[in-house]
Amino acid sequence: MSLTSLDPRVTRLNLPEGEAPAIEPKPELDQFETYEVFHQKKEGAAYTYVGPVHAPNEEVAFLFAKEQYSRRAACTGMWIARTEHIQVTPYAGDGENVYDMVRAQDPTEQSEQPEPYEIFHLKKRGKAHTHAGRVMATSYQEALQEARNQYGDKGPIVNVWVVMSKHVLQSAEEDKDMWTTIPEKKYREAIAYKVMDKITKYKEEHKTTAS
Amino acid sequence: MNELAIKDLLYKLADDQLILGHRNSEWTGFGPILEEDIAFSSMAQDKIGHSLAFYTLLQELGEAEPDTVAFTRNANQFHNSQLVELPNGEYDFSLIRHFLYDNAEIIRFEMLSQSSYEPIAKVATKLKGEVKYHVLHANTWIKNLGASTEEAILRLQSALDEAIPYALGMFEPSKYEQELIESGVYAGEEAVKTAWLQRIKTVIEKTELKLPDLSTIEPRFGGRYGEHTEHLQPLLDEMAEVFKIDPTAEW
Repeated sequence: MSLTSLDPRVTRLNLPEGEAPAIEPKPELDQFETYEVFHQKKEGAAYTYVGPVHAPNEEVAFLFAKEQYSRRAACTGMWIARTEHIQVTPYAGDGENVYDMVRAQDPTEQSEQPEPYEIFHLKKRGKAHTHAGRVMATSYQEALQEARNQYGDKGPIVNVWVVMSKHVLQSAEEDKDMWTTIPEKKYREAIAYKVMDKITKYKEEHKTTAS
Repeated sequence: MNELAIKDLLYKLADDQLILGHRNSEWTGFGPILEEDIAFSSMAQDKIGHSLAFYTLLQELGEAEPDTVAFTRNANQFHNSQLVELPNGEYDFSLIRHFLYDNAEIIRFEMLSQSSYEPIAKVATKLKGEVKYHVLHANTWIKNLGASTEEAILRLQSALDEAIPYALGMFEPSKYEQELIESGVYAGEEAVKTAWLQRIKTVIEKTELKLPDLSTIEPRFGGRYGEHTEHLQPLLDEMAEVFKIDPTAEW
């Protein structure tokens, strides 16, 4: 069976007719690793988790994140961290505080000098992790304890993410202008196309003939 | 200030953006990976948006309205460089063209944001953040792929060799070059080219790619004066297809 495309770009390809060749199975582990993306919705707001991207490295992850998560929504900055670099606590139930559950643990890896770590809190299941602040510590475990001391009493916290600051790629202050025109790009959103009036009008006009 | 000189400048900027924008849009649904499909489509919207901004400045100077200017001219009335009208080819060529073009575009926008002609300065200042991202996109890919597998390097090198005479064609001087420079409207093509070379060399040096010896290359001039390759007219016919059926169509 051959199909004629209405898309001139497809027609130009002069695709051969007949059965499509079988797709060879891909070798294992050919997937990109995942990176987690945080964005800042407006100046001064805390960075909030928006979702993951698959990418071969951090800088390409940044490009993908820019397209996936700030092509439409208002944004003033973006952070990227490799999923593998994020330490996750157990989950508490809604209304509980996970810091009450986690016990002090011995560090698995420790640095000689204290280093900065970023702390993200999930306040309620189904919401997004939000940046709570930065602590200085020599290990993830110590960073979590430090976070508990500094931010642990602020209402229910169901989950905490801890990531070393040096593993977070942060968009540069001088690159903020990459996002300044986003609010004017309403044409990128389906809501900008006001077609319902036209559809309603069309239906009205064709009401009698349709039945 | 010479209005003809400013119009000539605006036409070449806007036409470059419109034509490359259209070429970028041809990647919609065809990108090698979904993310790149989205990136090229998103940049296509930016480029066409930029052309609209410059066509609007032209309209303020008495030219026809943007849709008429974009959709009713023939190839020989377009002032774009031949680089932007070349077919997309494979992803390697599109990427190299994007790299060569946007590294010049960012310099133009930076210079124009300082222009003595205020309407241009305003538009360039407002939009240059978008071009900055286009450059980041191009440079990131060139740096990554240009230092990856043998196939990627070979493909990019051959695309670079093919594109470079056309890229040099971007800097074809206008007949108003001297006036634009003297009146502080635009620093001129020679200045853009010098800064551009610096920029692309910095990126290429981080890869396995080799910049051809530019002194041995004949630039593909003519585009700024309406001389185009066989590829432009079919692009214009396709772009204006709907407009020609119904100039009042809305969506």
